[in-house]
Amino acid sequence: MMRRTAPVITALSAVALTLAACSSGSGSGGAEPDDGGPITLDYWAWGTAQQPMVDAWNAAHPDIQVKRTDAGGGTDSSAKLVTATRAENAPDVALVEYNTLPAMIVAGVAQDITEYSNGLESEFAPGVWSQATFDDATYGVPQDAGPQALTYNKARFDELGIDVPKTWDEFAEAAEKVHEADPDTYLTTFPPDGFGGVAAFAQQAGGQWWSVDGDAWTVDFDDDASVAVADYWQDLVDRDLVSAEPLLTPEWNAKVNDGEILSWPAGLWAAGVLYGVAEQSAGDWAMAPLPQWEEGDSAVAFEGGSALVVTTSAEHPEAAAEFARWMGTAEEAHAIQIEQGQYPASLAGQELTLESEPPLLMPKQKDYWETAAEIARTTIPEISWGPNVNVASSAYQDAMSKAVADGTPLRDALTAVEAEVVDDMKTTGFEVTQK
Amino acid sequence: MSTATTPRPVGTRRLAIEPARPASRRGAVLPSIVLFLGALYCLVPVAWVLVASTKSSSELFSTFTFLPGTGLLENLSDLFAYGDGQYVQWALNSVIFAGVGALLCTLVSTMAGYALAKYDFPGRQVAFYAILGGVLLPGITLAIPQYLLMSKIGLAGTYWSVLLPCLISPFGIFLARVYAASAVPTETIEAARIDGANDARVFVSVALPMMVPGMVTVFLLQFVGIWNNFLLPFIMLSDERMYPLTVGLYTLLSKGSGTPSLYSLAIIGAAVAIIPLIAMMLVLQRYWRLDLISGGLKG
Amino acid sequence: MSAATDAPSLAHRRVRRRWGAPLLFLLPAGLLFVAFLAIPIGYALYLSFRGMRVSGGGPFGLRQETWVGLDNYVAAFTDPELVAGLGRLAIYGIIAVPLTLGFALTFALLLDLPRLRGARFSRTAIFIPYAVPGVVATLLWGFLYLPSTSPGNWILERVGLGGVDVLHGGMLFGSVANIAIWGGVGFNMIILFTSLRGIPTELYEAARLDGASEWDIAYRIKIPLVGPALVLTGLFALIGTLQVYGEPATLRPMTSAISQTWVPLMTIYRDAFTRDNLSLAAASSVALALGTLVVSIILLRVTQKRTFGGS
Repeated sequence: MMRRTAPVITALSAVALTLAACSSGSGSGGAEPDDGGPITLDYWAWGTAQQPMVDAWNAAHPDIQVKRTDAGGGTDSSAKLVTATRAENAPDVALVEYNTLPAMIVAGVAQDITEYSNGLESEFAPGVWSQATFDDATYGVPQDAGPQALTYNKARFDELGIDVPKTWDEFAEAAEKVHEADPDTYLTTFPPDGFGGVAAFAQQAGGQWWSVDGDAWTVDFDDDASVAVADYWQDLVDRDLVSAEPLLTPEWNAKVNDGEILSWPAGLWAAGVLYGVAEQSAGDWAMAPLPQWEEGDSAVAFEGGSALVVTTSAEHPEAAAEFARWMGTAEEAHAIQIEQGQYPASLAGQELTLESEPPLLMPKQKDYWETAAEIARTTIPEISWGPNVNVASSAYQDAMSKAVADGTPLRDALTAVEAEVVDDMKTTGFEVTQK
Repeated sequence: MSTATTPRPVGTRRLAIEPARPASRRGAVLPSIVLFLGALYCLVPVAWVLVASTKSSSELFSTFTFLPGTGLLENLSDLFAYGDGQYVQWALNSVIFAGVGALLCTLVSTMAGYALAKYDFPGRQVAFYAILGGVLLPGITLAIPQYLLMSKIGLAGTYWSVLLPCLISPFGIFLARVYAASAVPTETIEAARIDGANDARVFVSVALPMMVPGMVTVFLLQFVGIWNNFLLPFIMLSDERMYPLTVGLYTLLSKGSGTPSLYSLAIIGAAVAIIPLIAMMLVLQRYWRLDLISGGLKG
Repeated sequence: MSAATDAPSLAHRRVRRRWGAPLLFLLPAGLLFVAFLAIPIGYALYLSFRGMRVSGGGPFGLRQETWVGLDNYVAAFTDPELVAGLGRLAIYGIIAVPLTLGFALTFALLLDLPRLRGARFSRTAIFIPYAVPGVVATLLWGFLYLPSTSPGNWILERVGLGGVDVLHGGMLFGSVANIAIWGGVGFNMIILFTSLRGIPTELYEAARLDGASEWDIAYRIKIPLVGPALVLTGLFALIGTLQVYGEPATLRPMTSAISQTWVPLMTIYRDAFTRDNLSLAAASSVALALGTLVVSIILLRVTQKRTFGGS
């Protein structure tokens, strides 16, 4: 026993040091008292672009220093934000995905920052701005946006003699053609857990899953537009013209790399994600506007994208809001964002992309950013998400996976999701009608 | 039945002279083969991760599963470069959580186990049943209330929030009690007391040395338990720099929408993480006294 | 060590009744027990009767915690997914528990046979998975299951047979159970093996001399004698089954066949974190913990009344 004492003491003192070093920095509301010293803000955000942006802010603002923590990706991070808020342990500022922002408001995480938002509205296109504004109150500063586009493997398209589809009908024909040419190859994937993607397809078709009128919510997941979208994909899945497997699994990544999955209709961030999983096929790819239901239309919805919120735990909301505004609108911030592959939410940021090189996935596509700007200009302005997108998203994943596996109608899955969403809202005490 | 569980130094029994029976020579081949197949089954995934860790990310899905690749050094340098050496930090955290946690837990358990086994005092039975109840409780169901309570006292998100709940192990106390009951003769304690030693002194200089093998077992069980723990640190911690390896590796895989999973990094990270633990198991194997667990049934 | 073998009966006697010292020895454990087990349990109970409800009205009204009585328990017990999850858990358990124990017992009995080749290597190798964290083990097996990296499918395709998808349909239960079996066999084997080693040889040397086969010895002498150890390993395997979470949750991104409510603990996790309904999660947790307790007690009563006698 005696011989073990020395290492034990060494270990204990090492731990004591680490504990002392770490307990001071964590926890939060973490601002120093106002004795003229610098304010410290805690900021939770994921993704590669954040730390360089925070560093740039810190260099320019010695009085307001920001400490960034990676608390996990969008879903993990927002779940932790809610728990941390309840435990009065939340950071001052946090990055939140647009579709979870309403849930953050009703959970008391996000603070109304209207009073610090003078002139902010004009920095953004209406479609983007409406994602962060509810009931005329501003709850967040948009940072990046993900208008939907079609990212496709141009080399394989050319090889198989397929034109870029402009409508969803053409898209279905292309799917048929691809599968005939090579039975192992699919034009695209219909991920059964792809809540965000299908929500955006439905919005493009005119669906509105949540709408609010006065104090009352209306929930309608199985309106005509959404059912049409479900039926459209039902047909492709039934005829085995698309792969109905989850995205970004090792399996899927390998197929993308091997040119066996040829396109991904998703937010503009798809270029960065695909580069991460299919680097070898970089150069083969290009981006085009999303197919439309009617030829000549141009509407698309957002998939993904995020905003900075000031939390209700923030001790210096004004400083926090100033930081959030800088992250969403400063030119310096945009430059870093673009370099890291994000598509800025602000008009000035989108302007700035026009001077940039195309993303690494498609170095040959010189008009990438012009196309992107074009798409961003035509996003649908009035989309509202409900207060329980988390419930809808989890119900959707299970219902849709089951429908695909059992071969039951996809449209029925939407009805089932609607029932769960309405139930949850009623239990919580919202005034809600089901359509 | 009671004789069956009397602790016995491992190995002495084989000194008994076995009757030479040529017929059983053949009989031992089949068992050896079955055992070897079992060993193979257990080693395949470990072999796989070692092989896969040598593959570059393009080889990972394109070459035959068990064909070594050419990317080992690159993978290693990627792993250690990730997030400014975050992997090393995770490993250090795991060592701190598991090492310190298991050590303190062993002390706490030994003291409690000794008291429960060697003293007769009011409430002894109640304490013992409370501990048994604790053994049966699913840990995950406690994690959320533990988080909320930790937050109330301002410890959520610190090292303490993971370390402190690991210090209490009903199972460890249970084992220590079993071991103390069989390994520390009451006569020795009473003799020491007659010599004028007080309770603390008897415990430290008489009981503790006798309980060392049991303590090593409790330590190892708890070390592995904390090292493999995922949910508690996942819920308690929000800062990546404080994550242990299990949570760190998990975050490499689940980066959320807009960021792809880092499979190659996760694989090399997993390989590097299990090598020291396996080495530790091999070295410390002979100290395991898992017969304690079954000995507990006799009471 | 050696003292124990001398006089077990004497060792079991306790020091005379006294108060101070034992309570002092128990103090650290007691404080920790109250702080990190008893209070959280009480708090979970309290939470299970609370719920988040909108106050103040409006479409973005704040939700606040209020007393909701038995609502959460009603919701938990009437949730078809929680019940279905229990059903899936049962299938998983029926595969995992007997196979883990069966393999562990078989390997332990084989290891106890004389004249083995490479026994030390095999024993060590079978124990190694215990050192692999569940998250990592699932990652490893996940890759071995995926058609594009599975060596089994690679071979099947080379010999002209189609690949097998072990992550869908009925095979899925086997695949998830396999991860638990892989991780559990070694540990249980060592427990059983050490108790086999504790059996005095005299008990079956005589039988061996009488010409009894090793099979007879195993079946009639060894297995009954390691009965208590089997009961205990069975109990742990059962508790482990009721608490299964890590394997299916980590495997989920690789297959759409695992829903977020695949087993009860996944439903609890989803309610608590994805859906921010802590109180419902608390109610389900309380129900599950009580269920575990009841099942464990029944198992112990049925198998052996004396087990866990206490003194």
